[in-house]
Formats: sequence, C-alpha cells, structure tokens
Amino acid sequence: MNGTTWDFSVVWENLPMLARGLVGSLQITFVALLFGLLLGLLVAPLRMSALRSLRMPANVYINIFRATPPLVLLFWFFYAFPILIGVRFRPYEAAVVTLSLQSGAFFAEVFRAGIQSVERGQWEASRALGMGYLRLMRRIILPQAFKRMVLAFFERAIELFKTTTLVSTIAFADLLYEATVLVNQTFRPLEIYTAVAAIYILVITAASVGVRGLERRMARSDA
Amino acid sequence: MESVTPVLTLEGIHKTFGGHHVLKGIDLEIRTGQTVVIIGASGSGKSTLLRCINFLEHPDAGRVLLAGEPIGRTVRGRSGERLVVHERELSEVRRRVGMVFQHFNLFPHMTAVQNVMEGPTSVLRLSREEAHARAHENLAKVGLSDKADQYPSRLSGGQQQRVAIARALAMQPDVMLFDEPTSALDPELVGEVLLVMRDLSVEGMTMVVVTHEMGFAFAAADHVIFLHEGLVHEEGSPEAVLREPQRERTRTFLRGLEHL
Amino acid sequence: MDYAWDFGAINRYWSVLWNGLVVTFQLAGISLLAGLALGLFVGMMRFAKSPVLTWPAAVYIEVFRNSPVLVQLVWFYYAFPVLIDTTMSAFMAAVLALSFNTSAFSAELFRGGIQSIDTGQWEAGRALGMRGPTLMRRIILPQAIRRMIPPLTGRAIELTKMTALASTIAVPELLYQGKLINAVTFRPIETYTVVAVIYLVLLWSGTLLVDRVERRLGRSDAWNR
Repeated sequence: MNGTTWDFSVVWENLPMLARGLVGSLQITFVALLFGLLLGLLVAPLRMSALRSLRMPANVYINIFRATPPLVLLFWFFYAFPILIGVRFRPYEAAVVTLSLQSGAFFAEVFRAGIQSVERGQWEASRALGMGYLRLMRRIILPQAFKRMVLAFFERAIELFKTTTLVSTIAFADLLYEATVLVNQTFRPLEIYTAVAAIYILVITAASVGVRGLERRMARSDA
Repeated sequence: MESVTPVLTLEGIHKTFGGHHVLKGIDLEIRTGQTVVIIGASGSGKSTLLRCINFLEHPDAGRVLLAGEPIGRTVRGRSGERLVVHERELSEVRRRVGMVFQHFNLFPHMTAVQNVMEGPTSVLRLSREEAHARAHENLAKVGLSDKADQYPSRLSGGQQQRVAIARALAMQPDVMLFDEPTSALDPELVGEVLLVMRDLSVEGMTMVVVTHEMGFAFAAADHVIFLHEGLVHEEGSPEAVLREPQRERTRTFLRGLEHL
Repeated sequence: MDYAWDFGAINRYWSVLWNGLVVTFQLAGISLLAGLALGLFVGMMRFAKSPVLTWPAAVYIEVFRNSPVLVQLVWFYYAFPVLIDTTMSAFMAAVLALSFNTSAFSAELFRGGIQSIDTGQWEAGRALGMRGPTLMRRIILPQAIRRMIPPLTGRAIELTKMTALASTIAVPELLYQGKLINAVTFRPIETYTVVAVIYLVLLWSGTLLVDRVERRLGRSDAWNR
C-alpha cells in the first residue's frame, strides 16, 4: 500500500486488555446460549401444540425475535424496557436478556425442525407397535432428531458469538468494545481493528472446522 | 440395406476407473445401417464402452474411428500412448453420434418441442423456423405430436424417453447410441419405446444398443455382442448368440435373464 | 404498567423516520446488487478447476463469512481509509462491508446451486455437441438460478437486518434516525418501539413474500428431480 507503516506493537502491548474483551464475548455467548437453550426447549413444544392458544403466542414470539434486527432489540431492552418496568439495566443484563430471547427463538425453530424432520413412517411404525407418546418420543423420535439438532445448535452458537459484537454499542466490555477503547487511546485503528478482526476470524473458523468435522463423523455413523 | 463401409470402428479400447480395469481391449466394427445390441452383466463395461464412442468417457488407450477417420491424435508420452481430443472436435463428433440415456435427461425447464429444438438451434445453428419444423417432424416420428408443448414433468417415462429419442434424431446423426433406454421404465411403458427403436432400425439407422431386452434383440438386431469382464466374449447373429450360445459364460448369463 | 405511553411526542418526526427508511433501502439495495454480482464471480472462481483460482476464493469466503458484520463495518470505516490513504463516507464504508459480506454468502449459494444440477443434464448437453459456455447458458444456469432464488431472497432479508448495524458508524438509516429522535425527545420507549415495529413489519412481510415466491416456483411447471 502507499506509504502506510504498519505498527502492531500497540496490539502486542495491549494484548491482556484485548484478551479480557475476548473473555467477555465468550462469557456472554455461553450465558445467552444456556438461557436460549432452555427457552427454546420450553417454547418448541408450544409451537408444535395442537392448541391454538399455545401455538399463537409462541409463533408471535419466534417471529418477532427472528424478524427484528438484533441491534434494534438490544437498544429496546437497554434503553426502553428498563423504564417500562422501573428497573435499571446494566449493559450485561440487557445483553443477556436480548441475546437469550433471540437465541431462544432460533433454538425453538431448530427443535421443531429437528423433530418434524423425522419421517412420518417412524411415528406410524411406533404407534403401530402400540407405543405411547412419551415412550416413542424418548426411544424413537428424539434420538433421530437429536443428531440433526446438534449440528444446527453448534451453527447457531457460532452465529451467536458473532452477534455478541453488538453489545459493544451499549458499552459492554467485549472484544470489539475494548478494541474501540484502545483505538480512541492510541489512534491506530488499522492495526487494532485488523488484529481484532483476525482474532474473530480465527476463533470462528476454528469453531466452524470443528462443526464440519462433527458433521462428517455423524454422517459416517448415519442413523 | 447394409453397405460395406464401417461407419464406426473401435480399436483396442481400454478404460480404467480408479484402479479397476473396466475395458480390457475392445475391437468393434459397425457398418452403416446395422443395429448392434450389446449385452452383458452389470460391471461388464457395456455402458462404459458406449460412452467411449461419443467420448463421454475418455478411453485410456485405443482408437475410435468415425467413417474411417480417427478421432483425436495419439500422443506418445512418458507413460505410453494417450489419446488427445480437442473440445471442438468432440463437438463435431457428437453431432454425428446421437445418444439416448437410461434416465432420459430431458431439459426440465423446456417443453418437449423446445427440448428437441435445442440441439439444432444451439449447436447446428439452424433458424428457429427450421428447427421448429424439424422438431415437429421428429416428434411426429415418435408419436408425440400432441405433447409438443408439455413439460417433461407432465409426461410419462415412456413419453419422456421418446422425446429424448426425437431430440437425438433432430441432429440427423449417422449413428444412434442407446444406453439401456428402457431400464428405468415401468414395464408397461417399455413397449412404446422399443417400438420406436425398432422402426428406426428398420428404416436403416445405424444403432448401437445396450439393453437387457432380448425380445428387441431378436426382432431388430443384426449383430449381438456379449461383453464379459471388459472383453468381447462372444458375438454373432441374434440366433447364434441368444439361441445357441457357444460359450459357457454366455449360457449362464442368458439363463439368469430368463428369470426376469 | 404505570408508564404513560405518549406516541404524540414522536409524531412530528415521521419524516425523519421515513428518510431513514429510504437510506435503509438504498443501502440494502446497492449492497445486494453489488454483493450478488461479486458473489457470482467469486462462486465461479471457487468452482474453477485450477487451485490458483479456487484457493484465494475459498480464503475470501472464509474471511467474510467468519467475521462479525459489525467488525467488518467498523473496519471498513476506520481502518480501510487509513490503509488506502483516503477518506470515505460512512455510507460508502457500509456498502463495501455489506457487499463483501453478502458476496461471500452468495458465492456458496451459487456454487451449491450449480452443483445441485444433475450430471445427466451436463451429459445430455454434451451429447448433443454443446460446448461449455452454451451448455451453461442454455441448460445449467436457467435451472440453477431458479433453485437459488429462495435462499437468495433469504439473504436479502438478512442483509436488510444488517443495515441496522450501520447506525453504529453514523449512516443515517432507520435505526440511526431513531437514535436522533430519542436524543431530542428523551422518549426511548416510544421511539425504539416504533422503530422495532417498522422493521418488524418490513421484514415479516418480506419473509411472507419469500414464502409465496417459493411456493409459486414450486408449483408452475413443477420440474421433476
């Protein structure tokens, strides 16, 4: 490039700060993942219920959280919601609430799709053998659905990690936030943002490779 | 009406697929107007042999001659002789050698008549009017004039295969190759396709057919070749090979077919 | 809820929101077109025979798929201008980031679409004497593009959601306008609820449209296999 001198020393010197940010990102990811998983497990059966009064609210929840840009949701939960319920939210709480609810919506869909992807024939065969609903779910349907869901789960987890960057906009100390603080201190956006982008790419690529490996192992022992 | 000029000659054709030597040296001569039927067990290499004729498979060794002219150049390399063919020459060859596939391979985004017109317009560069006229001619020939504007998804297997035959015929080829044309059809649809093929044969089209349909072989073939493990095991007239096979393997194979 | 909702306060700012929506559409539209064009090119590279072409394409795709969009936006706005020694408008930076991002996802889509076409189609075309470009143009691409439309429209919707992130680098799209209104009126509840509802309506109807398109594509002439 024309005369730009790269100087990554500012990155090396501040690695601990960036590392703390990365930990913050991972922390939010895991917490939101956990809550999202539980939420998804709760909502999925509602979504598939025969009762309209259960299905509709579940559908509304899922559609709202899948169709609205996550940043808009984050702003709403950080700036608007606390006033509404009269509680003060720290960035951490707003971030966890938003990302958990969003993940929950996606996971509910993952569970539903996983279960519905098991062929009708399996249901009919189990019923023909006289199995009750719970037993056939436990012994026949869920084990088969599980494989498909596990892959989707990990893919969603990686997406979630990418989405955590949004929390930097409400001043939660994730990797991107620490990077921005550093840039404001040292005025070296090129090196810092490039290094941070590289860190994200490394982590996410490693995770993706892991998931693809898992996919291949599962395909080999195909149910 | 047979003539003495060999329209198609295969010399010493070898083909290996990843370690598996499928064709071990095939020599073949097909004269104008002949209908040659190739039979054999699966894995004997019969489809591969057919596909080597129009170079959908590239022979590892040997030569293919069309009307006495060799296709491509034999190049001497470090690992022996290799057949090198340029894409332009292949395109020329394939205009003269038509192929009908087991799974029809009609273009699903085009109607029957559009399918038949596609070769003449894109490859032979005929005008749309000429191509259209020719397409209708050939669709009539296979008995599907009334289905001209239907999409393949609306046609039965037998109808689709007949459209596929019309599509190949529209190129006015010197030789027609048939790769198990009825194997993917429901039994009741097989007859309509074999009938079209028999008519073609009677009219004097040079045909090479890979098939299990012995009835067709008896009715239409001038020459039958039994392929076994990549080599020509026995060949002759249909009566000779199919009724009084000389060799043991041929007999075993034919006996196996009787169960169908 | 004992909060006194008062949408009247932001009533006078509908034109501000509208301007934001216009920018959202501009950003999404331009990035989509650029992203698809670039994605087609990269997809062809990825699908090429020579490793000289496939490897850089693969790396490019991994880089832009495996980095968060916000990081890409921030990088193109703050870091890239330093690299090429120019100043750049926020809108331009956003277009660059979103275009590259979209291209990486759609490249995979294009590759998938073309590879999903049955080999028999290639063989039938070749058996008629067709050569590469003709075969692609007349037989393969028409079928492949049809299959790609549903996932591509999905991408378009994802892209529209991503435009909200451009607010972080002060692109005056819808969410940014919301922030401005909030700064003036101090009514975050009404402001952000309205903004959320607008996005919701926009994107939900978008997904319904996608579903309709998918069903219509599946219905008319219903190609088999």
